[in-house]
Amino acid sequence: MIDTMGIILASDEKIAPITDRRSISALPVAGSYRLIDFVLSNMANAGITNVGVATNSNYSSLMDHIKSGKPWDLDRKEAGLNILPPNMQKAKYGMLRGDIDMLEGIYGYISRSKQTYVILSLGTSLYNINFEDVMEKHVERQADITVIYKEMKELSDSELSRFTLIELDEDKRVNDIEIRPYYPKSSTAGLDVYVMERALLCSILDESIARGDHDLMKDAIIKKLSALRVFGYEYTNYTDKIDSLKSYYKNNMIFLDSKIRNELFSAENPVYTKTKDRAPTKYGSDSAVENSFISDGCVIEGTVINSVLSRGVKVAKGAVVKNSIIMQDSVIDEDVYIDHVIFDKEVYVTPGRKLLGQDSYPLAIEKGGKI
Amino acid sequence: MKSKDCVAMILAGGQGSRLGALTKKMAKPAVPFGGKYRIIDFPLSNCVHSGIDTVGVLTQYQPLELNTYIGNGNPWDLNRNHGGVYVLPPYQSATAGEWYKGTANAIYQNLVFLEDFKPKNVLILSGDHIYKMNYAKMLKAHKKTEAAVTIAVMPVPWEEASRFGIMNVNEDGFITEFEEKPKEPKSNLASMGIYIFDYEKLKKYLTEDENDPNSSNDFGKNIIPAMLANGEKMISFSFDGYWKDVGTVQSLWEANMDLIDSPPKFELYDDKWMIYSRNITRPPHYVGADAEILSSTVGEGCFIEGEVRHSVIFEGVTIGKGSKITDSVIMPGAVIGENVTINKGIVGPSAVISAGAVLGSASESANKSFISGMCTNELVLVEGGAVISENNEIACGSMVEA
Repeated sequence: MIDTMGIILASDEKIAPITDRRSISALPVAGSYRLIDFVLSNMANAGITNVGVATNSNYSSLMDHIKSGKPWDLDRKEAGLNILPPNMQKAKYGMLRGDIDMLEGIYGYISRSKQTYVILSLGTSLYNINFEDVMEKHVERQADITVIYKEMKELSDSELSRFTLIELDEDKRVNDIEIRPYYPKSSTAGLDVYVMERALLCSILDESIARGDHDLMKDAIIKKLSALRVFGYEYTNYTDKIDSLKSYYKNNMIFLDSKIRNELFSAENPVYTKTKDRAPTKYGSDSAVENSFISDGCVIEGTVINSVLSRGVKVAKGAVVKNSIIMQDSVIDEDVYIDHVIFDKEVYVTPGRKLLGQDSYPLAIEKGGKI
Repeated sequence: MKSKDCVAMILAGGQGSRLGALTKKMAKPAVPFGGKYRIIDFPLSNCVHSGIDTVGVLTQYQPLELNTYIGNGNPWDLNRNHGGVYVLPPYQSATAGEWYKGTANAIYQNLVFLEDFKPKNVLILSGDHIYKMNYAKMLKAHKKTEAAVTIAVMPVPWEEASRFGIMNVNEDGFITEFEEKPKEPKSNLASMGIYIFDYEKLKKYLTEDENDPNSSNDFGKNIIPAMLANGEKMISFSFDGYWKDVGTVQSLWEANMDLIDSPPKFELYDDKWMIYSRNITRPPHYVGADAEILSSTVGEGCFIEGEVRHSVIFEGVTIGKGSKITDSVIMPGAVIGENVTINKGIVGPSAVISAGAVLGSASESANKSFISGMCTNELVLVEGGAVISENNEIACGSMVEA
């Protein structure tokens, strides 16, 4: 039934220093993946063959990762995966102020597409969802718009106020939406994923552009809650969004929890990424590894505890890596001790150094940093 | 169409019967090797890195696994518009149709394929050797000497020379004599089964060989001796890197162990000569709080809670708590329960070793009903998909079939 296209908005928000050279959607997570792999794979698994990735700035890392779309089987004769650079004229004058501006830049692409429905997702959330089921429910309820949400009763108010919060009635119809409210009134948090007919999206965009609006939720959809049939779709597995260094750290560490790991890497809804031809990871004669998640191509001769390692990381003899997230090709030389750090790609720590961050404030080192 | 300078043909049709249960359902070149590869990844990757973009893979025995593995050749960058990788099974034509009778006949039957590319030279390779070699260097030497055929050779220990095809060469590298498995070798230069032929000469000798009803249609037994007898210019090309024929259970096990010795006899961590393989996306591997992994390699998607020493663990393997794996090769998707002991084991893809089982037991009370001549040197081989029941103690030298 699918007849649906996907649009992923690669956010332009900044988390220094790890997004200095990439968008949040291109951030490495779970060792060998990028954040965007989850939503892309979910779309591909649902049989979607037309996915547009709207970018704002800093999109070369994303392009390099996605290339032809082959890992997601999205290298197609018709449509497939398309990276859509921003409207440079607008970007130049600093006029890309919200998602409507981004969508305006790709309006031609949306209106030319042939599918009836569209799934619109902000590429900053981590989830593994069955979009086929979402679409079925959307059509069954004759919804105009479906908003995907999760009940997050266990979260504190300050945690909840990072999300788009939704109020639902008994029939799961959306009564109210508040974007990152300071005082949360509900614990029903949106995943920033919306489903509607492509024609409806086009008409909302037409109207909003004509009025000079910038924000799809605040300026358009919230104002139409009574006029349109907006429904919620409940998602129950793990989800969070990456919007700070702290949440980046946390959303890598969660992969050490086997329950969450199994939810995010389900065999029925696999997550694909660009594979690399690295040799398997090699352990030396004195290595000690505990509770860690380790990608291909690493060489481990030291100690690694409670950590997530991307591809090609080297941990030399006598080095200790604890509670840390180490991106691709970083080198931790002999007798180094690191705890609670985030290393971007290709960080090199010379022998004997000691680097300590804290759980509440991990120490992050930029790409190519030498210590 | 533009003609090709060199087209490679990989002989991948052999059964590999000396690999026992490992090749019951797949051809030897499809056998997993080195923690993430298949044996055929080595000649295919060598071709691509040597600038050879047209490769025929001749299959015959149990081709399904190999065909699906090669697919459109994309993992090796061999999905090309002009050239690329082609799987070439034996086929039936209007007038004839037969199995490949020998290595030479396999190429003969595919002369039509070669003709399409109008190659100047043809590189013949085996699908069962582990090595990294730049064929471009050999091709350059071949072109310089204008030889009818150039044959790669490498020195082997004298005491093992009688197991190989031995080349006797003069000081200029000209091959003067070829002896297949000589009892008293005159040289220790073994043929590596890698030939570069001048295409016209290859065609001539294959056609003549085909017309000889007494020939066994084999390169080593027929083509090379015929060319020598006719005084063709045949030149050796010396290779001195790592090269291993993995035709037996023991040599396959040894070649895997060569990767994890310190320093390794064969290095896979080489950015300039990466071995490509069909990668299935899997999450990184997870190492549990009580796990211990020493002198080993571990692939993606594994879940390790036991102890692993000096072993090669392929992707997607589970090793339960309290298990001890030593000097072993565990192939993709195998499930090893809790408190299992494995010594010198080769566990085939998706085999299940239930809790408390022992593979490679030296004890008197061990189950000796699977002891097989295939498994020398106390090795234990478990076929892919086989299930070893709980607490079953399998003796050293056993081969357990599914």
